[in-house]
Amino acid sequence: MILIGESIHIIAMTVSQAIEERNARVVQGLVMGQTDAGADYIELNLGPARKVPEETMQWLVRVVQEVTDLPLSLDTTNPVAMEAGLKVCKQRALINSASGKRESRERMLPLAVKYPAEVIISVLTDEGIPAGADSRAESIMETLTIANEMGIANENIWVDPILMPVSVDQKAVYECLEFIEMLPDLAPGIKSVVGLSNLSNGTPRELRGILNRTYMVMLEKYNQYGAIVNVFDEELVRLNRGEMPQVVALIHRVMDGEDIDLALLSPREREYVKTTEVLMGQSLYSHSWLET
Amino acid sequence: MQYKASLETYAGRIREVVIGREKKLLRIGGADTFPFHSFEGSLPNPPQFALEVYDTEPEGWSKGALEPFKDVVADPVRWARKCVENYGAELVCLQLLSTDPGGKNTSAEEAAELTRQVMEAINVPLIVYGSGADKKDLVVLSKVAEVCSGGNLLLGPLKKENYEEIARAALEYGHCIIAQAFLDINLQKELHIKLCKFFPVDKIVIDPLSAALGYGMEYGFSIMERIKQVGIVHKDAMMQMPIIANLGKECWKTKEAKESERQGILWEGITALSLLLAGADVVVLRHPETYNLMKKLTRNKGSYSVPM
Repeated sequence: MILIGESIHIIAMTVSQAIEERNARVVQGLVMGQTDAGADYIELNLGPARKVPEETMQWLVRVVQEVTDLPLSLDTTNPVAMEAGLKVCKQRALINSASGKRESRERMLPLAVKYPAEVIISVLTDEGIPAGADSRAESIMETLTIANEMGIANENIWVDPILMPVSVDQKAVYECLEFIEMLPDLAPGIKSVVGLSNLSNGTPRELRGILNRTYMVMLEKYNQYGAIVNVFDEELVRLNRGEMPQVVALIHRVMDGEDIDLALLSPREREYVKTTEVLMGQSLYSHSWLET
Repeated sequence: MQYKASLETYAGRIREVVIGREKKLLRIGGADTFPFHSFEGSLPNPPQFALEVYDTEPEGWSKGALEPFKDVVADPVRWARKCVENYGAELVCLQLLSTDPGGKNTSAEEAAELTRQVMEAINVPLIVYGSGADKKDLVVLSKVAEVCSGGNLLLGPLKKENYEEIARAALEYGHCIIAQAFLDINLQKELHIKLCKFFPVDKIVIDPLSAALGYGMEYGFSIMERIKQVGIVHKDAMMQMPIIANLGKECWKTKEAKESERQGILWEGITALSLLLAGADVVVLRHPETYNLMKKLTRNKGSYSVPM
């Protein structure tokens, strides 16, 4: 799976302050750290970028490119900031993100043609986030048709099903998985991406990692293409590199409905089994799901 | 060829909680199927109903609610006796409302002593609800547990803020408990997991909170439904406790109940029946007429089905 490092995010206090003060060293430190940790892309999330959007995005892209050769994923809801960033990207960038919302179709999608860039398209529409795998499929097909007509090929589109926190909507987590499974049939050649960490939003901090890692492995079963992740989670990177094949096989066995004898497993493996059961919707989520 | 309906069987079973003492035991829960689905599984115990008694003279009650108890409302012991002796209650629920620090702030010692008197005055099991003020309930319910040692009361509500001490007291002095999270199934399960680290799972009853028809009943309804599904279909051991609906006080607050006694009885009855269908195993009622109505509806000729 392609790992997009999420650490340059405007919501993080240190990042927001560093950008505000144009402190290149803080930003570059995080970028070098993520490059070393094994990121394939670096995400630059500026949010709505209301203040001097063009100058801010260009400054950020430039200082980041001084210390890494990785391609960038530009994340802002502001099309002006997006375009400014795309102008100075050395590598083919990823637009994060466009959606089926009217404004996004009119102002974000054309940028993918103009520069050209790859683009993340989420299932969001003017009606909101669709519920269930089928309505996700319906929403994305409409937007994909529009994108294809504009000349954006499936190969350059990464579909984002919008992953919800498991503590908020457990059913939606499983539906996302169903959607990813059906996606290659719906749109051959298309790529997929999720904001993995959102899964564990609201879960106690020390337990977030295992949720994220387990779900990544589950998505892998359905050939998920990419994920925006915390690449500083070493176990996540190792799992993704195929260095923990027993854990991957174990998670996939649980997904296949196999009865697993917990007594034969290590404590760590047991945690992966319990977490898979929660993410499959087989066992009700609570913050203490590992303690049962 | 004879038609044979295909039936579902489920892997899980709701636990049976036994409250009360010696010859006055009452069994709650125990079903391995959904409420009233006697055609596809076993329902060893009927839904149970309690009549409520307050620890202090009620204020602002409608005439209709007050009428059946107007001669005893000043004396909780006589009130409880009347529930049992005159109205045939098989279960009583003592509401320790006056312990609320925002109200009369009755002391834990006084509340515990009253509870003991009520418990001893009646020959049926007793449910005891604190005022719902977390810190005060901790002191009150722990004291009640101690003073009523061995009474096997059903004590609550225990919340994430105060469960530990009350549960330890209940365990030490031999009582069952009611676990309550505020209309949130995930937090409800969380509380059960924490409780079950030291408290026996078959002495816990779930209170997901109930509201009256037209006043948000749907929220509790959905959660009860979901709890039953998770426990019976998905065999989630942490969600297989029986459910209590403490709904009398909610129903008689409504505008409709205040308008007329008959409307109040029906409002309480419809709310109770709805929550029984959702999964409640014990229902706390206010009016003896509703109590009769519910028993008639749910204990049809010895079976527990609703007559068609």
